[in-house]
Amino acid sequence: MAAVKRLKRVAAAQPGFISFKSSAGSDDLNSGQRKRVNKNKKKNWNKHSDIQDVEEFLDDVRLQERATGGLISEKPDDSLFFVDIGEQRKYVQPEVQEGKKGKKSKSRPLRIDLILQHDSLVPPPKDILAHQQPNAKKLRRIAENAAKLAAMGVLPRRQKRLLNRRPAITASKSKTAANNFPDRPYYDLWGGDAKETADPYYLEQTGKKRVKRPEKLNSKPSVLPAVEVIAPGGSYNPDFFSHQALLLEAHEVEVKRERAELRIERQLAVNRDDTATEETVFQELVEGLVEEEEDEDEEEEDVSIRGGLQQEKKTEKERRRERADKIKSQQKQAARVFTDKKQQLFQLRSIQATLKRGEQQTRERVAQRKANQEAEKSMPRRLGRLRFQAQDLEVQLSDEIPGSLRTLKPEGSVLKDRFKSMQKRNMIEPRERAKFKRRHKVKYVEKRAFREIT
Amino acid sequence: MGGLQKKKYERGSATNYITRNKARKKLQLSLADFRRLCILKGIYPHEPKHKKKVNKGSTAPRTFYLFKDIRFLLHEPIVRKFREYKVFVRKLRKAYGKAEWTGVERLRDNKPGYKLDHIIKERYPTFIDALRDIDDALSMCFLFSTFARTGKCHVQTITLCRRLTVEWMNYVVTSRSLRKVFLSIKGIYYQAEVLGQLITWLVPYQFAHDHPTDVDYRVMATFTEMYTTLFGFINFRLYQTLNLVYPPKLDSKAESELKAEHEEDYAMDSESYLEKLSALSASLARVVATAEEEENQLDLFPTEGEDQENMQAREKEQKEQEAQKRLFEGLKFFLNREVPRESLAFILRCFGAEVSWDKSLCIGGTYEVTDETITHQIVDRPDMDKQYINRYYIQPQWVFDSVNAQMRLPVEDYFLGTTLPPHLSPFVEEKDGDYVPPEKLKLMALQRGEKPVQEDEEEEDEEEEEEDDDEEEDDDVDDEELTEEKNLKKLEGTRAQGKTLAVKVTPGKVKPWETGSVGNKVRLEQEEKAEEKRLAIMMMKKKEKYLYDKIMFGKKRTTREVNKLTAKRKAHEDASKAQKKQKKAKKQ
Repeated sequence: MAAVKRLKRVAAAQPGFISFKSSAGSDDLNSGQRKRVNKNKKKNWNKHSDIQDVEEFLDDVRLQERATGGLISEKPDDSLFFVDIGEQRKYVQPEVQEGKKGKKSKSRPLRIDLILQHDSLVPPPKDILAHQQPNAKKLRRIAENAAKLAAMGVLPRRQKRLLNRRPAITASKSKTAANNFPDRPYYDLWGGDAKETADPYYLEQTGKKRVKRPEKLNSKPSVLPAVEVIAPGGSYNPDFFSHQALLLEAHEVEVKRERAELRIERQLAVNRDDTATEETVFQELVEGLVEEEEDEDEEEEDVSIRGGLQQEKKTEKERRRERADKIKSQQKQAARVFTDKKQQLFQLRSIQATLKRGEQQTRERVAQRKANQEAEKSMPRRLGRLRFQAQDLEVQLSDEIPGSLRTLKPEGSVLKDRFKSMQKRNMIEPRERAKFKRRHKVKYVEKRAFREIT
Repeated sequence: MGGLQKKKYERGSATNYITRNKARKKLQLSLADFRRLCILKGIYPHEPKHKKKVNKGSTAPRTFYLFKDIRFLLHEPIVRKFREYKVFVRKLRKAYGKAEWTGVERLRDNKPGYKLDHIIKERYPTFIDALRDIDDALSMCFLFSTFARTGKCHVQTITLCRRLTVEWMNYVVTSRSLRKVFLSIKGIYYQAEVLGQLITWLVPYQFAHDHPTDVDYRVMATFTEMYTTLFGFINFRLYQTLNLVYPPKLDSKAESELKAEHEEDYAMDSESYLEKLSALSASLARVVATAEEEENQLDLFPTEGEDQENMQAREKEQKEQEAQKRLFEGLKFFLNREVPRESLAFILRCFGAEVSWDKSLCIGGTYEVTDETITHQIVDRPDMDKQYINRYYIQPQWVFDSVNAQMRLPVEDYFLGTTLPPHLSPFVEEKDGDYVPPEKLKLMALQRGEKPVQEDEEEEDEEEEEEDDDEEEDDDVDDEELTEEKNLKKLEGTRAQGKTLAVKVTPGKVKPWETGSVGNKVRLEQEEKAEEKRLAIMMMKKKEKYLYDKIMFGKKRTTREVNKLTAKRKAHEDASKAQKKQKKAKKQ
């Protein structure tokens, strides 16, 4: 440690040396615990000797050389100090000069530039490449070649590749405006088709080709028109009869509905015969106490009869007679068929009539079926859990009809009409609103503050 | 008997269908997204013929889709966008939960969006396909544009719908393609003929909404999203066909005229232009400044015989249409504040009239009430204090009825305070033999150019009036019966009578058009024709005769019904007249 201290002293004792930095670390060196180190090994000397102050000194010297162009101690005093006589005169003079000779003042470099100017003594390394070009000959030859090719109209490969590249689609990258943006632009969608330039095979393989829409999808699911015009009775100032016709229609719908309601009510009603009377109540109480023997007897008899029949065996004679009977009846049957066939000759007319009738029937059925199929095309189909339910007819009663357009009170809702029309045309399936189902029971608790009051 | 055992439900209809839930899982979408996708792509559920087979033996009611359709959906690029959106929502929710506001902002900036253009192109390969399917889009957009901006759906959607409908109305006005209007209790039905396609749409009355609860708004919004895209492209194309500037611009002349002083009070700058467009009072700017109307004439080809007749008929039809397009040309209307401004302005402008309204009612009025050149003022109140002598004060129904009748109806029936004649539906087309209400008969007579019967003396001499009426009806019937079938039926009737009754000779009535020699000739011709017909009937085969008799029977039945209805009507009118008389007597 003594050696270190000595060195420091040496550095500080350099005659006329002025440190550039204020040495704040000098106190730190003395403070702190001393370490005991064996000095009999050279390794320890290197390890534990403090050379920081020497390095700092040398750093300082280098810094001074870099920043001020030489050691400060060697500089003349004039360059380091000046007599402070205030700044007033300094500021006044340039103002006067600017007023007189603007150009001159402008030509003088700014102070900020002066500060930034390079003023170290160490010269910047020379750039050799500033004066000479590596591979100059080769490059010149290449350039000449390129110029010749360009004159002939041959593009270099790089440029060619650039040109061949498909233009980057910037629109998709940029933010797509929402579909309901009020000022969105439109263009001629069905105008001249922009032909796809790329190879169709490539597009197909990379999944960039649009799949063709199946032809079947272009047919509408129903033959009904999109906008069904209301019946003439729905005019705001209707003709008497058409209005009556519409009212009748609405009335029929209402009657049908009421009938359905009544039917349900009737089905739900308690049957008079099912109600308990005193007698039936008594019967119920006595049930099982009174024995009934008649039924059992009958059952026994049945069993005996059945058993008896099975027991008997046919005799040979009986069998022979049966066989003969069978053959006889067969013969009789054949003869009967034969005569019938003979007789049919005379029935030809009636047979023809029946045939005709049958044909007529089939024809009618075919026609009916066809008509049904036609009608079905315009009917709402069953597309889900619920059936389509037609909207209530819009009707104004006779006393509701307004005298003029001003007093008209519109009936029904166009929104609902549109919605139902889409359901009717099988475009959407009828649904009902999802019901709110509470998972957990609601628990009511009186708040304490509330309980305290009551 | 080798071979593999056939397993149930592995071929046939069971494999052609897929249930909704399975399809949803195959596409990895939530139910809402799946439904949205199906609507956008135009894929609808399908009812199988044999449900039990398709449902693998179960009879539970399910929604089925065709398997091929779902396989087609798998290729849709939008599916990926839906999934991206799902992830976006999840991330956003997470960022919110952690209160990472910069993260929220960044996510918002990169919100995934999608376009429907390719779907529209795919669903409607040609422009005409799209135009045929526009009815729905129109009704939906008109409906959404009347919604209040209360958060039932996006305000942006409402604004877009409004813009598109205004563009459409402007197109119809410029192309003069409106054909029919019907004021119903539900809304107003319009029908226009655009590029040869009849397009019908329904517009709700203003301020008529109570939002129904049993309508799925999400589904409707999805439909609207698709329809707005379709509608916009159609509008662009339609504007192109008329050489109009597409985001529609007012004529430079009209624009300077419409410059009001207190525009800022009426609407914000961003909205005032749309409002001015929606006022419909000015014409639109064209790409190429051309003469107002280019008369496009049919090319004339030398034709013969039937073709020539057809050509003439077509030419006549075209001429009529041209005349109809100029129905209100040269008239100057003023709308009072109690009438529905938008629909009236739209209709009047469609037929070439000039329209204006009070300055405080809406932007875009071009002249004041005090303008002396106004020919008609549309009023819907019992009476007015101050009336100008040189204009008609009429009720709005006159406009609608005139459009449907394709002629300017006499204004007397529609004057201020009078009871209006019924507003008949123009969408009902009567076949011959059907019951036609007397109002319509009168109208048809007017269309043919006959003078209407004076009804002012109704109270004074009822009987005479009735006779008149009868005669008129007779005339009409006669006119109709000029057609062969009618004539035949009449003959039939007489024959039938002859069979049942003894032969009776009645003195012939001399009709005014039969007196002259020309009339005689006409009658002779008719008789000849009838004779021919009768002979033809006699020569008919049995089978044909059967059919013929059946047709005739049906016709007779309809006439019977018609007679019944007319009798009923007469009774009703008599009753109402009697009532009126009583009332009058009481008053006196």
